[in-house]
Amino acid sequence: MRSYRALIRATAKAALAYRFSLLLGLGAVLVQLVALLAVWRVILAESAVNGFTWPQMRAYLLVAFAAGTVVSLLGDFRMAFRILDGDVALDLVKPIDYQKARFAEAVGGLWIELILIGVVVGITLAVTGGVDTPAAPALALFVTSMLLLVPLKFLIVYVSTLTCFWTQNYMGVQWARLAVVNLLSGALIPLAYLPGWLASVAQWSPFAGLTSTPALIFLGRVDGRHGLQLVAVQLGWVLVLWFGARLVWRAGLRRLTVNGG
Amino acid sequence: MRTVRLYLRLLGAHFRSLLEYEADFVILVVATVLMQVVNIVFLAALFAKVPALNGWTFWSVLMMFGAVALAEGVGSLFFDGMWSLAWQINRGELDYFLVRPYPVALQSSSANIGVNGLSNIVMGTIMISTGLAHVDIAWTPWRVLLGVVLLISSVVIKLSINLATNAVSFWLSSPTPLFAFAMHQVGDLARFPLSIYPLALKAALGAALPFAFISFFPVAYLLDSGQSRWIGLLTPLVAVYCAAAAAIIFKRGMRRYESAGN
Repeated sequence: MRSYRALIRATAKAALAYRFSLLLGLGAVLVQLVALLAVWRVILAESAVNGFTWPQMRAYLLVAFAAGTVVSLLGDFRMAFRILDGDVALDLVKPIDYQKARFAEAVGGLWIELILIGVVVGITLAVTGGVDTPAAPALALFVTSMLLLVPLKFLIVYVSTLTCFWTQNYMGVQWARLAVVNLLSGALIPLAYLPGWLASVAQWSPFAGLTSTPALIFLGRVDGRHGLQLVAVQLGWVLVLWFGARLVWRAGLRRLTVNGG
Repeated sequence: MRTVRLYLRLLGAHFRSLLEYEADFVILVVATVLMQVVNIVFLAALFAKVPALNGWTFWSVLMMFGAVALAEGVGSLFFDGMWSLAWQINRGELDYFLVRPYPVALQSSSANIGVNGLSNIVMGTIMISTGLAHVDIAWTPWRVLLGVVLLISSVVIKLSINLATNAVSFWLSSPTPLFAFAMHQVGDLARFPLSIYPLALKAALGAALPFAFISFFPVAYLLDSGQSRWIGLLTPLVAVYCAAAAAIIFKRGMRRYESAGN
């Protein structure tokens, strides 16, 4: 445990060194926030659509922005290149668990991401007006859901980088992941707008937990029981992916060839 | 002519080396198609619930998305090397280019090939032509010609902005083209009708960095809708202006280049 805590501390200190990669990742999420805010402001100015009012959609998009920013500092490229460059061989001789170590690094970068989220959310609220915060029980459930989002997002990114054991080019895998996550998480558009079958696929997929679940709870669009059920699905996926990732890792190691010495 | 032939040969060499990793090639192509499909699903889901966005229909916004995809695709497929300009400057690799009897900017932009551009060109073309097929335009030879001119101008503007923003690396001397990439992302805003944005963004996208001339203004002119449709007619002029500005910035930057020193 001590070694992982040390990793968290080390990453937290080094976080500012990766500010460029952070800003790079932030750019896309920020542009999407600005574009979608402008789109929905125009559409919802006249009347609510699908039960979403403008203040609600604003809150939804801000939660989506926060969810999109969390766990992006230590970009997946660092993890991918560890495998592509063969540095992973060095990790194999260290007496710590590879997956836990990468998770510790992701946690270490959280503070700077939270500051950025605070700044952007603050500015947006100042410019476009405030949002209603939910009542205490729903707020507690929202916080739980946001906390579960951290391991969930880490695992989805982590598993996608493990594909580098099989492919040489990580770029395409990253793009595909971003596209699928953007749609099925509800970050691009609330799942309620998608065609019925696609919405239910998304609802039960691990991706809904990346935006839709915390956002719907925050807006109070789901009642207590339904909210609990959604968070349970989130937790279920965290467990499945945590152990599933170990299987992928083991299979990947068998494919690993590292040159030179 | 010789320049074009040489350019294509340089690209061809990269293309062949790309095909060596077949799985990666397929993944890149599939990923780009997937990204555009997600865009289309998003637009379809949005417009299924609302008839129009500030007066713009699904088909017109689809065309704007398509125009951005097409311009981006040409940039990646034929001029992807621009994005490594920062790296080439930082590592002093421009030295090699300077001793060859061939324009430096072209050597730089042919240093790489982005096969994702291929799928973006195809998807962009499909999106634009589907949009065109669903809107009511009285086609005359003059209008067809104008459409082609607008399309070419739109692509030239995107390429010029790419070159100009990447040439900023001559001054920043960072190994990654952060500025160019940030501007590229800002350009994604121009996929939506400019009229939905606040004034400051309109000015930024319409004048400072004229991304809106890649998609919004030409489409608005062609569809003959919106309040200021005539602005689309300026697109070729904006293209000439952007290309000239990019050339000047690149030349100025070249004068600052002092290699890396070994």
